[in-house]
Amino acid sequence: MSTPVSLEGLKKELPAKLRQVGWGLLVVGIAAIALGYVIDPRRMAFDNAIGYLFFTSVAVGSVFLIALEYIAGAVWSTPMRRVNEFLGSLVLLLPLIALPLFFHLHDLFHWTHEEALAADKVLVAKSPYLNVSFFLIRFAVMYLLWSLFYVLFTRNSTKQDTTKDPRLTTINVRLAAFFLPVFAISLTLTAVDWAMSLEPHWASTIFGVYYFAGTVLASISAATVVIIYFHENGYLPKLQRDSFYSLGALLFAFINFWAYIAFSQFLLIWYANLPDETIWFITRWKNGWEVVSILLIIVHFVVPYVALLTQDSKMDLKRLKLVAIWILIAHLLDLYWLVMPSYSEKVSLSWTDLAFPVFIVGLAIVVMAYKMKRNNVIAIGDPKLERGLSFRL
Amino acid sequence: MSTAALDYTRELPVVEGSPTAAEVDATIAAPLDQFPSRMWWIIFSIALSFFSIGVFCIGMTLYKGLGLWGVNQPVSWGFDIVNFVFWVGIGHAGTLISAILFLLRQRWRTGIARFAEAMTIFAVMCAGLFPLLHTGREWLPMYLSPYPNQHGLWVNFTSPLLWDVFAVSTYFTVSLVFWYVGLIPDLATLRDRTTNKIKKVIYSLFSLGWRHSNRHWQHYERAYLILAGFATPLVLSVHTIVSFDFAVSVIPGWHTTIFPPYFVAGAVFSGFAMVQNVLIFVRQAFNLKHIITLDHLEKMNKVMILTGSMVGYAYAMEMFIAWYGGNQFERFVFLNRALGPYAWAYWTMVSCNVIFPQLFWFKKIRRSIPAMFIIGITVNIGMWFERFVIIVTSLSRDFLPSSWGHYTPTFYDVGILLGSFGLFFTLILIFVRVLPVVSISELKAVIEGGQPSKH
Repeated sequence: MSTPVSLEGLKKELPAKLRQVGWGLLVVGIAAIALGYVIDPRRMAFDNAIGYLFFTSVAVGSVFLIALEYIAGAVWSTPMRRVNEFLGSLVLLLPLIALPLFFHLHDLFHWTHEEALAADKVLVAKSPYLNVSFFLIRFAVMYLLWSLFYVLFTRNSTKQDTTKDPRLTTINVRLAAFFLPVFAISLTLTAVDWAMSLEPHWASTIFGVYYFAGTVLASISAATVVIIYFHENGYLPKLQRDSFYSLGALLFAFINFWAYIAFSQFLLIWYANLPDETIWFITRWKNGWEVVSILLIIVHFVVPYVALLTQDSKMDLKRLKLVAIWILIAHLLDLYWLVMPSYSEKVSLSWTDLAFPVFIVGLAIVVMAYKMKRNNVIAIGDPKLERGLSFRL
Repeated sequence: MSTAALDYTRELPVVEGSPTAAEVDATIAAPLDQFPSRMWWIIFSIALSFFSIGVFCIGMTLYKGLGLWGVNQPVSWGFDIVNFVFWVGIGHAGTLISAILFLLRQRWRTGIARFAEAMTIFAVMCAGLFPLLHTGREWLPMYLSPYPNQHGLWVNFTSPLLWDVFAVSTYFTVSLVFWYVGLIPDLATLRDRTTNKIKKVIYSLFSLGWRHSNRHWQHYERAYLILAGFATPLVLSVHTIVSFDFAVSVIPGWHTTIFPPYFVAGAVFSGFAMVQNVLIFVRQAFNLKHIITLDHLEKMNKVMILTGSMVGYAYAMEMFIAWYGGNQFERFVFLNRALGPYAWAYWTMVSCNVIFPQLFWFKKIRRSIPAMFIIGITVNIGMWFERFVIIVTSLSRDFLPSSWGHYTPTFYDVGILLGSFGLFFTLILIFVRVLPVVSISELKAVIEGGQPSKH
């Protein structure tokens, strides 16, 4: 039963070429962001908000996936957990992407305008929550909590590589129990702060759940892309198709969950037909936005649904990788659809919309390379590892 | 707390000990072969007495009319709808366990799936009673279905109440088929081992000629998987549509977008509490402690803490958005729930649904039978009150203070509620005497030696 897992013959460092591409994208991204802020700061601020939400989805979502494995006692994902840990380290870099925004809150949020507040009783009533200082405090607290949990999870996991102490798993299970409520509340507030409050008169109770669905999809997709790359290029020991089935099944489940939540929100608002609420969908159904709305349904639901429906497709690595990249783009489109209608009533595309995605992909590659140099790609000390490696459905 | 090392390198056994296939047959079929015990008769007569109270109250309602109930203007939805939503909710655990946990390949479902499915069917039967009575014209149920007629009368397709008719009846049908398909191999086993001639005929009829052949199993597995695939979205859709009954309206406290997932989570929550409660007795009475193990009960308690916390999240979100949204009617409704005339019901709901289940974070409580039993009961009390709070507080005080009212249930309301519990337990008690409460064939696949050791 207990043949020690050997890392022999497994690669450990990303190829130089890929690292160069990462650095290249990072530099191009930074240049594009800087240029964008010079040319059109208001547009760039909205792009930045999309970038922030996307980055949070992948980073905080990855920490959530770590916690999920521990608390659910999952074994199939143990050989792949380091990928979540590497992607989770992006959490520490969150202020990097939020910082430029703090100088442009006025461009982004109507509720920061003094003159608007003076003329609007509803905004005044909300001002105990929607004000700049509390907004910044919320950001700081959430950032510290996410980072704290990330550091604790990964420190225990790394320590286990050498000590092989199963008690570290128990500690992480307990940490995960504390993390889940923190995650639920903080992710909801992130959605309210950075997306819902763009239209401060509008509110929907399901909004946090909607963003959560996207977060889980984005973080699993990001992990799937990396895991399959690792598997195909000899960074991970040989895994059975069964191990990948769960990734495909999770993606499929959350594709449906996202659609369910999106549809519930739409149907209830459409049916009740209250002008305060319908305005949000009406702005997304004119001036070209209706095209984006329909595209969203196709890109975010129909295509991945069909692509992952059968049992075999959930284990087909080639297809899984493509679908995962597709879903990442779909999540970006989803965020664009959430945020951009507050920027302009007419649908508009600009090259600056690509600045943040390019920057984030570059940053992710650079961070991965850095983490891989310093850590094992597999959690070799984890007591569940062997069961994970021999996992069968 | 100590951090004693748990063994993470092994999977927990689904069945404790290592019973042979023959022992599995004997254990599970034992209650069907014996004359019921005195205890069974006592409990059965209690359940039957409650049921007869219900029958009396329903009879009086049919004879005299809905005036016997506490419903009034503005609270025109009272106990009837509260009970309907409550029972439909209870019915959610069964198909969740049998279909969703099947798709998720959770093998621990084996011990509890059959029982939970039966419970689903009985709970949906109880639920179906209430909308029918609520219509006040029980003899005209055909108007609930769209059929061409001379009057040119059609149902209102845009009403979620009609969607409910479709959703609940589809759910009942699929659950019944799913349950029956799972029963076929077991009925064949019972047919093969019984010596009673009458039983032999009945089992033979219902086992549809099953011979345990390889070809039968292949078709069976395929059918079961497809049914599970159908049942999964169906489970979620039923309580989603029940939530639409409220959420598509413009009544403050009802119209809120989080209702669908929140109702589904609550339904699973109460359903698991009920399954856990009843299974505690079943495993004791029929010597099934090694099949329905403490580990299984602990896992169910974990599901309860998860779904209970989701419900708690929804309560918090409703409160927050009621304030954040800035609509004065919404704000009032939530203040009124927490501080108004029904505050006692609101705080019962919050403490039973959100606070007490948090005790399940402690392993000791999760694995203590008396503790989990009490918490399970409070969950069901809490979930019943949740529906009461939603329906009654919102209706009794809506937009115009001049049309505010108050709701007090009558003897007949309470009687029909007790009657539905009587019906539910009567059916369960009959079920445990006539059909195997655990799937024999599935259990044989998870006992030691049941799986291929290498492949």
